Amino acid sequence: MSDRPQILSMSSSQHEKDRRRAAIDWDLLWEKFGIATVLILVWIVAALGTPRFANLDNLSSVLRQSAFVGISAIGMTVAIIAGTFDLSVGSAQALSAWIAVLVAAHYGVVPAFIAAVLVGGIVGLLNGSLVVLLRIPAFIATLGTMFLISGLTFIFTNGQTARFNGKDFVWWGNGQLGGIPVPFLIFLLCALVGVVILHRTPFGRYVFAVGSNIRAAHVAGVPIGRTVLCVFLTVGLFTGLGAALLGSRLYSAGPGLEPGFELNVIATVVLGGTRLAGGRGSMLGTIAAAILFATLANILNLNHVDAFVQRVAVGLVLLLALSVEGIRQRLFERWNRRKPPTN
Amino acid sequence: MESRGGRFIWFRPSPVAVTLLVVGAVFAVLTPAFLTLNNLLNVCTSASVVAIVGLGMTLAIASGNFDLSVGSTAAFAGCIAMSVVPQIGVLPAIALGIATGALVGWVNGLIVTELRVPAFIATLGMLTIVRGAALIYTRGRDIYLFGKTDYKILSSGVTPALLALAIALFFGFLLKHTRFGRHILATGSNLASARRVGVRTTYVLWSVFAIVGATAALSGLILSAQVLTGNGRLATGLELSAIAVVVLGGTPLTGGQASIPGTLFGSLLVAVINNGLNLLNVSIFYQNVTLGLLLLGALSLTSGWTSKFGRIASKGSVADVAKGGDGAKSA
Repeated sequence: MSDRPQILSMSSSQHEKDRRRAAIDWDLLWEKFGIATVLILVWIVAALGTPRFANLDNLSSVLRQSAFVGISAIGMTVAIIAGTFDLSVGSAQALSAWIAVLVAAHYGVVPAFIAAVLVGGIVGLLNGSLVVLLRIPAFIATLGTMFLISGLTFIFTNGQTARFNGKDFVWWGNGQLGGIPVPFLIFLLCALVGVVILHRTPFGRYVFAVGSNIRAAHVAGVPIGRTVLCVFLTVGLFTGLGAALLGSRLYSAGPGLEPGFELNVIATVVLGGTRLAGGRGSMLGTIAAAILFATLANILNLNHVDAFVQRVAVGLVLLLALSVEGIRQRLFERWNRRKPPTN
Repeated sequence: MESRGGRFIWFRPSPVAVTLLVVGAVFAVLTPAFLTLNNLLNVCTSASVVAIVGLGMTLAIASGNFDLSVGSTAAFAGCIAMSVVPQIGVLPAIALGIATGALVGWVNGLIVTELRVPAFIATLGMLTIVRGAALIYTRGRDIYLFGKTDYKILSSGVTPALLALAIALFFGFLLKHTRFGRHILATGSNLASARRVGVRTTYVLWSVFAIVGATAALSGLILSAQVLTGNGRLATGLELSAIAVVVLGGTPLTGGQASIPGTLFGSLLVAVINNGLNLLNVSIFYQNVTLGLLLLGALSLTSGWTSKFGRIASKGSVADVAKGGDGAKSA
């Protein structure tokens, strides 16, 4: 990689470090650790306030539940950092999960997971080619594939749900390993892969570069097309894996598996502090946000809160978390205005 | 004030209109049932529901924003209006429903301008909240309206089509001939410079979101009047169909431009295709496939075509496309 653009490796120059030391960047802190802190606080409050929350069974079910959206959200984090996003993950999930269940019933577990990941990857490549080769804006391209894939899934499945409850298959979604739910372990593993991809590979640097300023990235020699293609491929692969786990968890899968899944995934990523504008984001935030959403649902369930009220609560949390930054900015501006100018 | 970046197109021989004619002709040849008055009326009615909310969405997209909450707003307003018809009568109920929608829209606008949440996320949050509110309000059950056939006037005959047409003309007039319309386009082209030259972007965005909410509510009212049943799950997924129709009509997601007739033709095209496939006994599962293919086909044609020239003009055109639709402008 001798032709790697130099500018990308200069992100932590001496000047930058000095600047960071001089003023605490609250935006950055909130972005990196905000939701993780909120998550810890919520867990403490929940443990004190809700008697059945802090027992091992319940906690492990929360963690398990967080994995299914979480794994897809890891791919989506990469996509949103790159400044695009993918609305087709919901329908890709339904198709992959259905194929996983079907293949598991006939050929075994390993082929099932391979097939699901492969299907996800194909959908991702399709999205990527539409965006890169045909130059359709990502929003519309993935909106189109969303309709396309969900229609195809209905046609393939004939509207029927596939079922399979082989022990070795459902273990992946329901089992535990050393007391920790298997899907959550896989989720953590995926997150680790995501972190490595983002922060330790040229591809990761390209993703940040494309997301922060695509023109500058282009001028600096970042292969935009290949990067965007790989971004969509990443989303697809992670979604496929998550879908196989969900199929295994539910013993079944069919069309219309989880309506609104794509928006849940995007909400998770955004709640985790990744900017929709691209160029900034954190994997830790995504993990914390996925667990936070699962925790909220769990707490509300434990307190017998109506499922309809839960929706309102989830929406409010999203808006609240996302408006923190705006409110802080406004307060800051007002405070600055009152202060006499320093120079 | 002339807004340079923003422009509004009354009419041009758009690909979607041509496609509509071709597809209509094909179905007319294939099935005799297509070109009957009754069937065309059906097509118009189902097109109008999406068209009305799509027209509102066109304004939102022209102003550089999205509204993902329209489906939930439609359900909420539809349920509220339907539930109060017995008490306060038909017309006040309709007014109340539309006012509810406008209020929800205004809240969207408040969240975007005051709390500085990007429109995509703000309305995503409102999607869940308002849907929850609709379900809470109806307790997850259906609301029936027995014997109140007056309410059906909203969805019977040519009313929906006329409403859609009237709204289209009104929005077209707004964009073409009024200061408010120019301000919408200016805000969508470049929020910061619009503010610099004195456009009160905050009020513009509030009004736009309120208008979108009102149109969504009207669609919801028509939908619920069709079956005289209100349901909290009404119009699920309407937001994405509405955006699809707007995009199909040629309004770019980047803001600052709007094609009102395009949105009308787009919704008609989708309705014609769905109707034709139904008449040909094609499984309903294929409707989503065709909508997806239509979107991708239309966009690959138009954006492929323009970028051929764009590439010569600026080397970063791949860049533009990849960034194109991420709603980042609203941040």
